[in-house]
Amino acid sequence: MKDSQKNYSDDLILSVEEVKKHYPIREGALQRIVGSVRAVDGVSLQLKRGKTLGIVGESGCGKTTLGRLISGLNDPTSGGVLYGGEEKFNRIDELKNIPLRNFRRNCQMVFQDSFASLNPRHLVADIVGRPLKVYKEATGADLLNRVVTLLEQVGLGREHLYRYPHQFSGGQRQRISIARAIALNPEIIVLDEPTSALDVSVQAQILNLLSDIQKARNLAYIFITHDLNVVRHMADDIVVMYLGKVVEAGSTEDIFEAPHHPYTKALISAKPDLDKANSENAIGLEGLIPDPARPPQGCRFHTRCVMATPDCGWEVDDVIRWLEDTPGMFEELVGVERKSEFSAVLTFSSEGAAANLIASARSEKLPLAMRQSLIKLNLNNEKVELAFKEVKEVALKSLGHRQSACVLSPEEVSKGAHYGN
Amino acid sequence: MPNNQFENNVLAKVKDLKVHFNSKRGVVHAVDGVDFEILNGETLGLVGETGCGKSVTGRSFLRLLPIPPGIIKDGAVNFKANLVCTRCSGKGCSECGKSGHKTEKGEQVDLLKISDTRMREIRGDRIAMIFQDPGKALNPTLTVGAQMAEVFLQHRSLEILDMAGLGQIKNKAILRFANQDVKVFDKILLLLPKARKQKLKVQEAVKIMVSKALSETQVPNPLKLLDRFPHELSGGMRQRVMIAQALACNPDLLIADEPTTALDVTVEARILELIRELQLKRRTSVLYISHDLSLVRRICDRVAVMYAGRIVEIGKAEEIFANPSHPYTRGLMAAVPSNGIPRGSLSAIKGTVPELIDPPDSCRFSGRCPYEVNGCRVNDPKLRKITESHSVACFINDASLSWCAPSFEGERV
Amino acid sequence: MTNPPQSSNITITKDSAFSVKINRFLALLQRLLSNPTTVIGLIIIGLMLSMAIFAPWITTANIPDPYQMPRDWGAVRKPPGEMGYLLGTTNEGGDVFYGIVWGSRTSLQLSIYVVGSTMIIGTIIGSIAGLLGGWVDEVLMRIVDVFLSIPELIFALAIAAVLGPSFTNIIIALSLVIWVKYARIMRAQVLQIKQNDFVDAARIVGDSKFNIYIKDILPNAVTPVTVQATLDMGNVVLIGATLSFIGLSEAGIAEWGVLVSEGQAGIASGRWWASTFPGLMIFLWALAFNLLGDGLRDALDPRLEDR
Repeated sequence: MKDSQKNYSDDLILSVEEVKKHYPIREGALQRIVGSVRAVDGVSLQLKRGKTLGIVGESGCGKTTLGRLISGLNDPTSGGVLYGGEEKFNRIDELKNIPLRNFRRNCQMVFQDSFASLNPRHLVADIVGRPLKVYKEATGADLLNRVVTLLEQVGLGREHLYRYPHQFSGGQRQRISIARAIALNPEIIVLDEPTSALDVSVQAQILNLLSDIQKARNLAYIFITHDLNVVRHMADDIVVMYLGKVVEAGSTEDIFEAPHHPYTKALISAKPDLDKANSENAIGLEGLIPDPARPPQGCRFHTRCVMATPDCGWEVDDVIRWLEDTPGMFEELVGVERKSEFSAVLTFSSEGAAANLIASARSEKLPLAMRQSLIKLNLNNEKVELAFKEVKEVALKSLGHRQSACVLSPEEVSKGAHYGN
Repeated sequence: MPNNQFENNVLAKVKDLKVHFNSKRGVVHAVDGVDFEILNGETLGLVGETGCGKSVTGRSFLRLLPIPPGIIKDGAVNFKANLVCTRCSGKGCSECGKSGHKTEKGEQVDLLKISDTRMREIRGDRIAMIFQDPGKALNPTLTVGAQMAEVFLQHRSLEILDMAGLGQIKNKAILRFANQDVKVFDKILLLLPKARKQKLKVQEAVKIMVSKALSETQVPNPLKLLDRFPHELSGGMRQRVMIAQALACNPDLLIADEPTTALDVTVEARILELIRELQLKRRTSVLYISHDLSLVRRICDRVAVMYAGRIVEIGKAEEIFANPSHPYTRGLMAAVPSNGIPRGSLSAIKGTVPELIDPPDSCRFSGRCPYEVNGCRVNDPKLRKITESHSVACFINDASLSWCAPSFEGERV
Repeated sequence: MTNPPQSSNITITKDSAFSVKINRFLALLQRLLSNPTTVIGLIIIGLMLSMAIFAPWITTANIPDPYQMPRDWGAVRKPPGEMGYLLGTTNEGGDVFYGIVWGSRTSLQLSIYVVGSTMIIGTIIGSIAGLLGGWVDEVLMRIVDVFLSIPELIFALAIAAVLGPSFTNIIIALSLVIWVKYARIMRAQVLQIKQNDFVDAARIVGDSKFNIYIKDILPNAVTPVTVQATLDMGNVVLIGATLSFIGLSEAGIAEWGVLVSEGQAGIASGRWWASTFPGLMIFLWALAFNLLGDGLRDALDPRLEDR
């Protein structure tokens, strides 16, 4: 259970502490667990009353899963989401009865797909009135009036009461979703990509609406999105996620002004900006997002980072990936004997192929940082023995109010130095 | 016949295109009088929000519209088809009258009116299209290699035979195999040892061609990709496969219908780069359809903005972004949350897109336009030139009118 | 701003939840009736239903048990056309027309009992499997698989043979065979609907699991179940008739299959009427419900609903 209450400041309303969500992968007739997808792998963050925390990342980073953990739809595998209502901070997955109801009333959610988040067979009046019914706050005519008030607050009206969701446009459906979310006057709303499916002009209307409601009701938002322009506009603080972990956290202004992590930097520059003319320095990222069931060691971003150093966690899988991407090499690989993530013996079908790998590993074909991270590289007929420096994890370092999980210092990141230059 | 041949640098010309759809509520004027040109070797961006008609316009080039309920009400899509004769691969033979081309070089065809056979020849060969969701556009039951092989065999079989060293072959069975026209008894004929060897050579040649095409799209190890199925690939990879397929025959025009909308922002940047590179290298023209103005700015030479079935502004990219002259364009740009705008005051265009059923005889943007005057509600503006290359369909600053709407008064977007 | 509800041409103007729902229902009816084959099916069903309901008025009920075919030894084997014996008589002097009319009642009972009970049982079991998942789901679905692996007719035959020839046993046999269909359908629907955001939204609002099932999952799951039930109304009679034909039902009752069975011996001798007319009824009944079922499937398709 919970021990002594940590010191939570007064303006804090939600504290997420080292949450992990792993989904087991089962294989075989007996459904043995062979591994797990580490959708969220140790994330901590804090939400202040009345403020917006933006969670940014691309697909597969775990932001949606995190949103579901925060709103209580799923329980974490480990770690806790602590809600600070009623003075005490308690883990929401341990709440029951009245405290649980209290949390539910105070934490609502708006989903990305406005069509799927509204029951197609329910009338708008039923959809928006449901929270009030469930908590028995109003009935009959009183209920209807409250629903109408809510609809008016989101820019709809009495005439929309008796309509079905499919009769509305995407923007209007999101308004209905928002009306439902604010019905019980919650303290927190988790918004999972609320405007991603909307046209730019409709998005502007909805974002304005969300801001107005936030100001009027002193709401705290968790704003999940992949759109950097939107998050810059809406969020006070930002958390950047990659493959289930936080790579950077800080205030919006600070992060956009001077990103401390190479991934954040890449994200910002990849996004086309109306202000910038023909942004030629738009850096796209090489490579694919790795499999969340086998995330890279060390810093998970090292496989795609242009500034990677030898201390970033190079491992056997990186060599395998390189072999896969090099024509003519992968087919020669016969076996892999792993002693750990960082050392293994690779068996090839011929001595020539093995020698080929050794030669490549000493040449420019592999990144310099990767080469320098090798502490062992031996040729043994058709076998290649290799071992990397062990770097299990690159932790989040705090620098004032900023956090960044990178071995490089902020100055080095902003210079954009490639290792070795 | 009056000379309505294109000027030399024009590849396609859309004239007064009208595509309507029958629906229970009436006739939807999805595309209602669209005019524009695509020049050789340029990237033209077609921008607009949901329902503006950009997708329908793009699809009309290839007649990929469901008819019914769609009807092509009016208009023409003229295109300089340059069909290479497949018999001789451009070398000249009896079938093509020694010219090497099936059509008169530079002959104009109206894509809306040509026969289905001719359209099939053009599709994939002279005009190619890539779609938003590569997962849906690729066949999930075929491997990448098999799908791409189909495309190459369809359009470049003679080259393939040449590559296999079978350029002069007389064996009909192999020829049919190369043309994907295998008949029942061919299956037996192809089992003969000599035929088997030849078949393998053809398959090898196809493989090489496919790998080459894939490596041009920056796929790291193409040979490995050939045996994968589309669902095993990431979104970015699938899009690259689609691009490789589309460019197989070096088309004159590539139509890209929101190809990066479903991709992550970092992958999107790479794919955009790729399209631009390929376009510059091969001098293909690209019609890039998108809802994202800032994206379009990156790779397009010229931009056309669509609203409610019409083009409301068209011009060079720099012109449009430096001097957006249609209130809708300005509204779109202002609506993007950019730096410095305080929360809650994003400039949103009021109102919603009008129903496109029986559109009234007024400017379609009236009712939402912050600059409108009475004349806008009873007159329908046509595109008029502001500069040689920049046109706008709006009454603002129209010197020819007495009642024209006032200028933007120096407002910066 | 919004599109007014384009439900149907008949609209009730007063705006309220009730009127909107009525309009939606009327729109559904309109879609149904716009399909000519569905209309044919509905007409046939209408006629059959009226026949069943008004049976005692159409022909005088047989005493003591109206479901027993009347025996009139003085009028055996009469061909159709005679007054009082419109469609002829059977080997035992039973009026074929009587058999048709009262047979519609038996068919109606058969279909309602079988489809009604299987729908309820199958839905409950399918829902439990879909909602609880895990080993409950596994166990239930393996049971369903076992049932489904046996062809319907053979299975029903076997059960009926074991239980002994009676009408009630036919109902039992058919019910045991058919319930699995509904369990399967319902489970698939529950699994699919569960994934929708609006179910998550209901959970976040804090509604109880039971309420979520009733309000969110069930209403969206009924469509395929309804369509299947309609189709089964027709097919149950068909299979039931087959069983009766083989002799697994009671002899002498006013049931179409029994009549066909009892009359078939006479066909070789040219007495076609005793089997043909009941056979025709079986065909019409099954056809009508199949047409209605198909029409329902199209009409209920949410994608075709007015936008």
